[in-house]
Amino acid sequence: MTTTVSAAGLSLRYGSTRALDAVSLRLSEGVTGLLGPNGAGKTTLLKVLATAQPADSGTFTVLDHDPSTTGGRQEVRRVLGYLPQTPGFHPDFTAFEFVDYVAILKELTDREGRHREVRRVLAEVDLSDVRGKRIKKLSGGMRQRVALAAALVGDPGFLVLDEPTVGLDPEQRMRFRELIARAGEGRTVLLSTHQTEDVAMLCNQVVVMAGGIVRFEGTPAELTARAAGRVWSSAERDPGAMAGWRTGLGVFRNVGDPPAGAELVEPTLEDGYLITLDGMVAEVTA
Amino acid sequence: MSAVLEKAPPAERTEGERRSWAAVFALARFEARELLLRAPVLFMFVLYAAWIGWSMRDAWTTYPALQDVDRLTQNGPLLPALAVLLCANQAVLRSRRQDTDRHFDVLVLEPWRRTVAFALSVLPAVALTALFVAAQFTWGVLAPGSVGHGSVGELLVGPLTVLLAGSAGVLLARVVRSAFAAPMLLVLAFFSILFLGAVPGNSDGSATRWLVPVIGDASTKTLPSDLLGRPAAWHALYLAGLALTLALAAVLVNGGRTKTVAAALVVAVGLGTWGAVGQAGKVPAATVAARLVATVNPAKVQPCARHGHSTYCAFPEWMPRTGTWAKVTDNVQSLAGGTAAQEKLLVRQRVDARYGMDGDGAIEPSTVPYQVTVGTRWGGPRVPEFAAAVSSVLVTGSEKATSSLCDGRMVTIMWLALAWQSDPLAELRTVRLDDSVTGSAIVLSPTNPMSMTSEQTTVVRELFTAGKSAIAPKVKAHWAELTAPKVTTAKVAQLLGVKAPTGADKCE
Amino acid sequence: MRTRASAQLVGPVLRALPRRALGAGAAAGLVLAALPRLLSTHPDPWMALLLLRGAALAFALGLTFLLDDPARHVTAAVPTRRMVRGALRTALVAPFAALWWTAAVLLIPAQVRPPVGDITLEAAAAAVVALAASATAIRLTEEAEPGQRVAITLLATSMAAALLLPQHWGLFATPKEKWWSPGHQHWALILAGAAVVWAACGPEPIRRRGFFATRSAKISPSTG
Repeated sequence: MTTTVSAAGLSLRYGSTRALDAVSLRLSEGVTGLLGPNGAGKTTLLKVLATAQPADSGTFTVLDHDPSTTGGRQEVRRVLGYLPQTPGFHPDFTAFEFVDYVAILKELTDREGRHREVRRVLAEVDLSDVRGKRIKKLSGGMRQRVALAAALVGDPGFLVLDEPTVGLDPEQRMRFRELIARAGEGRTVLLSTHQTEDVAMLCNQVVVMAGGIVRFEGTPAELTARAAGRVWSSAERDPGAMAGWRTGLGVFRNVGDPPAGAELVEPTLEDGYLITLDGMVAEVTA
Repeated sequence: MSAVLEKAPPAERTEGERRSWAAVFALARFEARELLLRAPVLFMFVLYAAWIGWSMRDAWTTYPALQDVDRLTQNGPLLPALAVLLCANQAVLRSRRQDTDRHFDVLVLEPWRRTVAFALSVLPAVALTALFVAAQFTWGVLAPGSVGHGSVGELLVGPLTVLLAGSAGVLLARVVRSAFAAPMLLVLAFFSILFLGAVPGNSDGSATRWLVPVIGDASTKTLPSDLLGRPAAWHALYLAGLALTLALAAVLVNGGRTKTVAAALVVAVGLGTWGAVGQAGKVPAATVAARLVATVNPAKVQPCARHGHSTYCAFPEWMPRTGTWAKVTDNVQSLAGGTAAQEKLLVRQRVDARYGMDGDGAIEPSTVPYQVTVGTRWGGPRVPEFAAAVSSVLVTGSEKATSSLCDGRMVTIMWLALAWQSDPLAELRTVRLDDSVTGSAIVLSPTNPMSMTSEQTTVVRELFTAGKSAIAPKVKAHWAELTAPKVTTAKVAQLLGVKAPTGADKCE
Repeated sequence: MRTRASAQLVGPVLRALPRRALGAGAAAGLVLAALPRLLSTHPDPWMALLLLRGAALAFALGLTFLLDDPARHVTAAVPTRRMVRGALRTALVAPFAALWWTAAVLLIPAQVRPPVGDITLEAAAAAVVALAASATAIRLTEEAEPGQRVAITLLATSMAAALLLPQHWGLFATPKEKWWSPGHQHWALILAGAAVVWAACGPEPIRRRGFFATRSAKISPSTG
């Protein structure tokens, strides 16, 4: 698959905290999930890739545009859609007006064509019915979709979505997944999340970050495979396991280094994620 | 804060009440810490400290009167008051700004109790201001030669101003919920008060004049503390009542419509009104009478003390200073000749107290022979001014006789007054109105000023250059001629052996 | 293409302006300037000067909210530059500000009006300082609405300056004082300095170098 976004050696510190420590990665068409614990540097990485925050050092390119010059950054921004972690709105604007405003800022200057595009993205996020309502009257889930529409408007080639499913109920989340999956057709989508299910269901690539460093880069299947042979079930909680919990069936599911003769079970993406993070902890303490 | 998050209180009512109040105090402590650590508040307290240092920089050499130092503590607290108003306002608005109102409004702690906590949260800032005020006043007390008495009422004004500002900030946030209201209204209020304060009203005992927190005086003189006639205690009561009223009003508009709050509000309004009425009253008749006596017939109220062969009479608060005056008198007198060297002087402290601090009146020169006037201030230029008064009385016989002086005796007066100092020329500069050491100038004294011609200035400077030891014997030897009326400046110069100026004495 | 975008932005930007804060600043300023006429007193020139300065400060406080943009994070990565958006906001407010200042000056009775050119310089400097301060806040922080903080800082600073700056700087002089004209040279310097800061804070940085960002990170590794 051809690489659409590539980064090399991106570093950024806040005071003594290394938010990004020489991050290098390659993204290609489709949806890439960015997993990591709180404070892993996910939001910082997304901000840097969305050109919302310059890095201290390192380079990256987006669809062959290099944002290290003002002109280059403009080119990147012309092909970019960005949904920040905490989107804000002008509360007096209607949903339509707000997306239209962002569309103008994205240099969609043909009025008629732009309005058509705004209506299209609002329909895509299922907000056609409320597009004339003021944003302050909309529910939290609807606002989140307004922000997504603002990111989608102008048909950007690279979509950066920072925890888009936070605060949504299960049905909305399901719909969001559909939306993002559709957006990933023919585009590069980078999506950060805490939800391993999101990644399992949506993504063809996954990146795991912790402590500002990329810990894993590959397919969801590869991440799951990391836990192969390291998940077992038992009747009691296994003290040797790094994580263990009682499932609905009443048996314990343990992740870690299994004792001899353990009853191994099929790993999930989440198991692979936990194993990856545990490797990191071991590395740091060693 | 943790108390807020605890489980719902048990059914018993008093227990629940107690817990609520514990939560209020916990929240107040939390908010107080936030407030004190806000950059504008910290910055303003630092500025305030710097201001104290700056305004008290000369305290060790200017012999402060404590009834002045207490009022001097009132302007500085306006700096932290400004920051406390804005930041307390911002703190109350914070939860709305960050959209946590919806969350907080359903917590166990009702909104009005949170308002109480916000109002309480300014108290540490008030206490800190009180500490600063106390430090400034103590500095004055410790300064060598400080005299008089401070007033608790005046000292309370600074901290109460900060309290008032904090309450106003909290109330404002509860009434107007925009982020820009507080800075805007503050500017509006500040400039309107300045404007309305400057509009001439009835000058005597204006009731509205005392409604603003800090009241300046028309005069900068120093009076005995019992003659000030400032309603300081009333004003402190007024400020406290007003601050309480604002805080309770904030609680009330926020839903705290309990009987206790309503009763407290009534009491606060009552206190404020009582203070406002009290401070608007006229100066008490006894004070007016005492002011008149102190101005016209100070001998009635002044004890006296003897130092050397002279007597020193002063208002009781200044008695510790008579020794300092005596040193100056003795120094001047030791340079004089003839009978003047042994003359028994009466140094009397005088002040025009008739208008209190609302106006100044000049002190008329004394007509009594060999009586010298000394003012209520000391240090800096006041020392050579007093020395000039002493020497003029020694030369002419009385202060009254000096008023019309326009001849060579001025040279002797100035030389006597300043020659004993370590740097007479610098003292000459401070005692002259225009701070010059050449040309003609007005010379200040505790009563009427004297004037020096350009020629006299030149001669006096030459005498200083010649040195005290060279001139002193000549002064003693020619004392009678030097102090004879109508003696010319040229003649004086010739007698004392310095170059005589050309041109006759011409006074302006 | 860019000019067309700017033209189409006028409507939404006008709607997105913090009109209430700007309006409140203007209204407070006009009330102050109107005081002598409202109370039909005869102010002395010093009072008139003071009221105009108060009006200028009130308007400047309103201007500190000019760049407040609740949608800042959503629009962080659009091709239309932040500087263009900021400049557009300023340009939309400028004629209104000129009109407002004319009204404020005219409200002061002619016989006590301070020299119009000099006092306008002071008002312009105050306005540009406010704009520079809010641009600095946008440039150095990620806050979407730093206006209130900036307003408080500006107010506290100006009050402290009026109280503490040496008299011979002449920033708060009266026309008859000898410090009036050097004071207005200082005002011109402040205007120029603030304009430079304002301009410097306009462009979004490509790298976190230059002022504050990387340097503060290196000097004080404990913060953050």
